Amino acid sequence: MFISVPASLRVGPFTSTVLVRKRYLFFYIFIIWASVIPILLEFYLYWHYTFSLNLQVYFVFLFPIIILIMYVTSIFSSLICAKCILIILNKIHKPKEGIFQRDNSNKDYRYWCLRNTIKRWPIWLSHKFPIPFFDNLCFKMFGVKTTFSNSLFEGWVDCEFIEFGNNVILGQASIIQSALIIGDFLIIKKTKIGENVKIGAHSVVMPGSQIERDCILAASSVTTVGQRLEEGWIYIGAPAAKFKRNRFNEYNLEEKISHVKDVEALRDKYEKIYLKWYDNDMSWTERKALRKKKKEDERQRIDSRIE
Amino acid sequence: MTEREDEHIILDNEDESEFLLDFTTSSAIGRINYKSFILYIIIFWLGGFGSSILFLLYLSLFNQILLTILLFPLVFALMYLTFIPGVAFISKLFLILINLIHKPKEGIFLAEKGDKDYEFWCLRIAVKKIVVWITNNFPLPWIDILAFRWFGVKIDFTSHLQDAWCDVEFISFGRKVMVGQGAVIMSSMIVGKYLIIKKVILDDYVVVGGQSTIAPGTIIGKDSVIGALSTTKYLQYLKRNWIYFGIPAIKLKPNKFSEERKDIIKKVEVDEVRKFKVKHDVNIDEDKKDYV
Repeated sequence: MFISVPASLRVGPFTSTVLVRKRYLFFYIFIIWASVIPILLEFYLYWHYTFSLNLQVYFVFLFPIIILIMYVTSIFSSLICAKCILIILNKIHKPKEGIFQRDNSNKDYRYWCLRNTIKRWPIWLSHKFPIPFFDNLCFKMFGVKTTFSNSLFEGWVDCEFIEFGNNVILGQASIIQSALIIGDFLIIKKTKIGENVKIGAHSVVMPGSQIERDCILAASSVTTVGQRLEEGWIYIGAPAAKFKRNRFNEYNLEEKISHVKDVEALRDKYEKIYLKWYDNDMSWTERKALRKKKKEDERQRIDSRIE
Repeated sequence: MTEREDEHIILDNEDESEFLLDFTTSSAIGRINYKSFILYIIIFWLGGFGSSILFLLYLSLFNQILLTILLFPLVFALMYLTFIPGVAFISKLFLILINLIHKPKEGIFLAEKGDKDYEFWCLRIAVKKIVVWITNNFPLPWIDILAFRWFGVKIDFTSHLQDAWCDVEFISFGRKVMVGQGAVIMSSMIVGKYLIIKKVILDDYVVVGGQSTIAPGTIIGKDSVIGALSTTKYLQYLKRNWIYFGIPAIKLKPNKFSEERKDIIKKVEVDEVRKFKVKHDVNIDEDKKDYV
């Protein structure tokens, strides 16, 4: 429902691939500046036609929608600006896969850093907004092969050398990388993710790994660099290993999927015993009295122990 | 083709442990179709009227430039705060309407277009999304809990979950629950072609470690702890007063540090600490030591 990076850590870098370097700060600021100008123009026009001409009913009526439109235009303008710069950059030096020295003298490394700095602002803008459509649009513009049916919003996806099939679901806080820094080396490799693949929460897909169609990667598992996950299997663990055949893509399994009846009974019993203070059937005064009693019990217990 | 057919025959003869759910995946549906997109814009629009009226009042009341500049940050914060209840009210209205058409229920459903439960599940997520997003990005932790309570999740103000990802239905919390940073609590999961919805219960004083995932249907007993980076299985029952750890979570050791025994630990630390006796020698002559 919301971005799974904790609120207290949302400022920091997400993965090793996000590098805003000091020397490329000019591009970064330029894109931010270019994305704000059309917003100001829009707001000025809105102001001119509604507020200053004393049409204040329209001013109130249109205010929320103009804020929404302003945000969307800032995403689009920053996207277009970044794309134009990227096209020029890629004409100068073509992005390619391989293993490079992580040093400022290496041309590939330098251009990789530059590309990341340029892509950062539009992706940040679209990722903060809870409509996943813009996130998918960003990936499409920057050269990731996806369709709009994929749900990539909750995870982190690198923006180049990645291919998605149809109907892929990324879990919360999962990371899909196409570049990696190990020691003094930068590794860039193409990752491929096939059709109907489901990737679990907190799992990491390393650069170069190929996940074939109908696979499931379970929660908090990690693939190695260049690993190939075979078609129609469930993988688990770090590094990911074969677990069992994925047969959950067949129809009419609703009855067969493990359905323990004891647990249901247990849960009913459990709910009655422990969560009674918060039941829906209770009246408000009863609930308040129970809460008070519970608090008092807590205090009494502590007092008795200390003596 | 012949090879594949042979494989299928072999698979049909195997026992049904293949359909056991002893792994967890994710529930993230970050996809908004066009029907819900229109709903989304309407919620944003109608919810923003309160803050827009506030903005108009602010513009028309203060004609001095200095006052308008000085008061702008305060008015901006107030506008944000008035936007939250406005949006919450309208999305709740829509939610009640949607739940009247189709009641949300637990179970196993097909995750495809045409299945009524799945489509309404997506719609419910889209309706709730904007409110939860706004409250979660606001730096007051209790406003987040207010939104969860508004949508009918049983949660108290003593527990904390702002740093976590949490579904907004079929979850009930006890008192003083701590959910760690980046943890994921899901009451719905997508496995292959199926959507599984089951209620999650976290009892009093439960602590969930950072980056751990909790699958639908788990019950966590009183005072128990789940370690960081661990996952629970579908329909797993974790007993009270234990520390659990691993993928999937297993018993590690009994929880000595639980809330009920907290005060004992404190007392032991204060009273039964080893005391060191130190001799104080003074460097003077032997015959004059009696004066000290």
